Amino acid sequence: MSAAAHPDPAAGVATERTDRRVELTLGALASFILVLIAGMIVFVFAKAWPSFAHNGLAWFGAGGNVDSQLGEIFNSPANPAAYQYTLHAWPLLYATLLTTGGAVLLGMTFALLSAVFIVEFAPAGLARALQPVVRLLAAVPSVIYGLIGILVIVPFVGNELIHQGRRKSVAYVVQLSGTSLLVAVLILTVMITPIMIAIIVDALRTVPRGWTEGAAALGVNRWRVMWTITVRAARPAIVAAAVLATARALGEAIMLSMVSGSVGFAPNPLDGLTFLFEPVRPLAATIVDNAEGLSVKPFGQTIYAFAAILLVSSFFLSFAGWAAKQPLKRYAGRA
Amino acid sequence: MEAATGALEPGGPAPLPAALPHGASAWRRRDRLGLVACWAAGLLLCVLAVSIVVFMLVKGIQYLSPDLLFSHPVSDTDQSKTGGFLDPLIGTFILTTVGTGLAVPIGVATAVWLTEYGRPAWLARAVESGIEIVAGTPSIVLAIFGLLLFSNGLFDFLSFTAQGGAVFGRSFLTAGAMMSLIALPLVFGTTREALQSIPAHLREASYALGKTKATTIRRVLLPMSRPGIATGAALGMGRIAGDTAIVVILLGATLQLQGVGNAPVLGTLRGTGSTLTSYVYNNSPAGEGNAPEKAYAAAFVLLLIVIGLNFAVDLITGRRRSRSAWSR
Amino acid sequence: MQRPHLTAALALGGAVLAVAPATAAARPTISMSGSTSVAPLAAKLARGYLRAFPGKVGFRLAQGGSDIGVADVARGRVSIGNSSRDPKPTDPGGLVFNKIARDAICVATNRRNRLSGVSQATVKAIFGGKVRDWSQVPGAGIRGPIDVIVRTPASGTQDAFQKIFLEKTTVTSTAAQKASNGLVAQTIKNDPRAVGYVSLAFTRGLNDARYQGVGCNLRNAKSGQYLGTRNFWMVTRGRARGAAGRFIRWVQRSSAAVPIISRGWVPLR
Repeated sequence: MSAAAHPDPAAGVATERTDRRVELTLGALASFILVLIAGMIVFVFAKAWPSFAHNGLAWFGAGGNVDSQLGEIFNSPANPAAYQYTLHAWPLLYATLLTTGGAVLLGMTFALLSAVFIVEFAPAGLARALQPVVRLLAAVPSVIYGLIGILVIVPFVGNELIHQGRRKSVAYVVQLSGTSLLVAVLILTVMITPIMIAIIVDALRTVPRGWTEGAAALGVNRWRVMWTITVRAARPAIVAAAVLATARALGEAIMLSMVSGSVGFAPNPLDGLTFLFEPVRPLAATIVDNAEGLSVKPFGQTIYAFAAILLVSSFFLSFAGWAAKQPLKRYAGRA
Repeated sequence: MEAATGALEPGGPAPLPAALPHGASAWRRRDRLGLVACWAAGLLLCVLAVSIVVFMLVKGIQYLSPDLLFSHPVSDTDQSKTGGFLDPLIGTFILTTVGTGLAVPIGVATAVWLTEYGRPAWLARAVESGIEIVAGTPSIVLAIFGLLLFSNGLFDFLSFTAQGGAVFGRSFLTAGAMMSLIALPLVFGTTREALQSIPAHLREASYALGKTKATTIRRVLLPMSRPGIATGAALGMGRIAGDTAIVVILLGATLQLQGVGNAPVLGTLRGTGSTLTSYVYNNSPAGEGNAPEKAYAAAFVLLLIVIGLNFAVDLITGRRRSRSAWSR
Repeated sequence: MQRPHLTAALALGGAVLAVAPATAAARPTISMSGSTSVAPLAAKLARGYLRAFPGKVGFRLAQGGSDIGVADVARGRVSIGNSSRDPKPTDPGGLVFNKIARDAICVATNRRNRLSGVSQATVKAIFGGKVRDWSQVPGAGIRGPIDVIVRTPASGTQDAFQKIFLEKTTVTSTAAQKASNGLVAQTIKNDPRAVGYVSLAFTRGLNDARYQGVGCNLRNAKSGQYLGTRNFWMVTRGRARGAAGRFIRWVQRSSAAVPIISRGWVPLR
């Protein structure tokens, strides 16, 4: 038994003080997070500012080959007055939007249907087996997805799915090899779906049985019950899952740098199906590919500008997730 | 009433299940399509999972050999001489330890503060949002922020200063510091859940006995939350072991562990090295290597480690449910 | 009570960890970064140096491309920058380029495309984008659109290739950029229609396109018959001093270094 177990009333003040001290220490440690985030915003934006300042809004626009622009920036002369900053990053932004958007749309559909399957329609043994399986898939490191992608899927797409004619049709603009938007979106979907499934399954399971049983008693069939009641009730979780998945897709750098093509190209939807086979390079992958050049000042600042965009996007996502959940809070209640 | 089933259709009750499960042969077409879609998604999920696991298993067993596990990697153009991945394996362990070692104290402290104190209220909300923001930040952004931060002369002790005077900024310590941010939200989340699930009467009993809040936390609440903390730590370790972006940028990219100075532990921590993830990345067609077989072998080992950690999480949570049963 | 013991133990352990580095004789570390072409040679030389003088120094080798090496050494991030391209007027001032070897750049195609004897004009036409199909290239072994593989802007090999092979022609914007020799080699191996250039040490498994009719190998590079050769440099900030200086002088002058270099590159002596 410690001496503090039977405090002497006169020592009440001392214990109050220790309590206060502990509270302050813990509070300081907790606030460390805020200091870190503030520092991150300040540092990254300060470093990124010259790139935005030199380009203005044209930074976000299209114009010229973004890879050769990056090359020019990298090869800037050593004289600070002559630093190159010209950049029109639209192909990279567009690639990010395409891969993230495509993966989240596909993934959300897949995850929702799979979650409904696991909760409602799967035979008991299969549903039980799928739980750890989904968690396993969620835990697989992204570099392994990238490895399978680049060693199996990319050659398959490159050799089997892309025919000569298709290659010829765009040969003047870009080279088609297996690394493409299609592979990037497919693998990204597989990466983000397990997390969504886990969250949605949890949420579907916590819907009060009274609601579902009541509906069944009224003669509603199982699919309808699931779709109109359970899924509706789980909407906050579905939104949360979507936000989480979008954040993960946005920030995925390694896997995408391995399979998406490493060419700063904006795929053209007017190319028809070839659109899917064109190489892309989202922002995060661009940062990873170019990370060694950070010591060249203007190039480093440009890379930090990309990071600043990602930072802003993830803040925006966090806020959007919170805002989207607010009106849905009334569905999260218990019967 | 346009009921969903055919139960009220003229001609009596609908026939019982014939071709489709759940009596769906009596459903409307749209509902049947939904059912088929669900089954298709479910089966696709199974196929995907099985194929990934089986593929990695086959490739891993095909290419993994004990000498790969125990020999040092060497940079060479001739692939038969490039050695194994002992250093990256050790690197993974070191990095995971450093990252979790930093994440657990801060995560637990934050969770404790938030659940037990949490004053002023605006600060508590800000800290909660802060953790969520850190959880949502891409690891690549954390990585280059870390590079920016630790290349500053202030943090020279964390890595080393190159001969030219610039702080290198890349070492196990700096990478570990950023990795801890990856594990932090997980540790925080599970610890907070654990603390919140401790019923109020236990705290009140402790106060009634005359213990201070600090002592209650230390002697009653934290020991009870140990499984939750362990779960968070294991989850965090899994994510740290699997992260590549921070390693590629902040670990110095040397194949072998290269310490700084001669101190046994601190020197290695301040030095550079590689981990299984960066080894796989570098040996794949995306990196400098050119050895997909070694990449498969290392990826297989990595997968085993991550699966092992998840299995550990299962063991811990299993134990937790039975242990806290008495407090209901 | 258990706590004071724990705190004392931690304090003692921390003190040991902190004191140890101060008392140990700091073994200097030579850090290098830069060219992916020089990297295999640098690694071999480092190992040879360690065999000759065990325990004296430590090495740290990173890559990234010649321009990265030059930028890193100029900013004091590393002791030596490896460069496979000659000094450029846009390089930061105060740098000293120490030549250590010569290397050959080979134009390579996939094994299925037994292209042999390609002239400089053809190389310029292919890499410049004027010729886009293998059917227009005399001696090509396959048909179809040409997949041009080049290096990223940071590469010294890219600079050397541009200067020696392409001269004034600019590389076509549709060329795929790869970050290292290994990556170029890998891409060419997997794509029958690819063509690119790699350092001599990376040509295993590829078809040598025999630039100007001369085989790209060590003998022709040494004799001067093969024209696509370039210099390897170890760049230092100012004159090479200290441990790095001793290493560079060993590489350039000692007889132990020559057989190491001769295995895949052209020694200076």
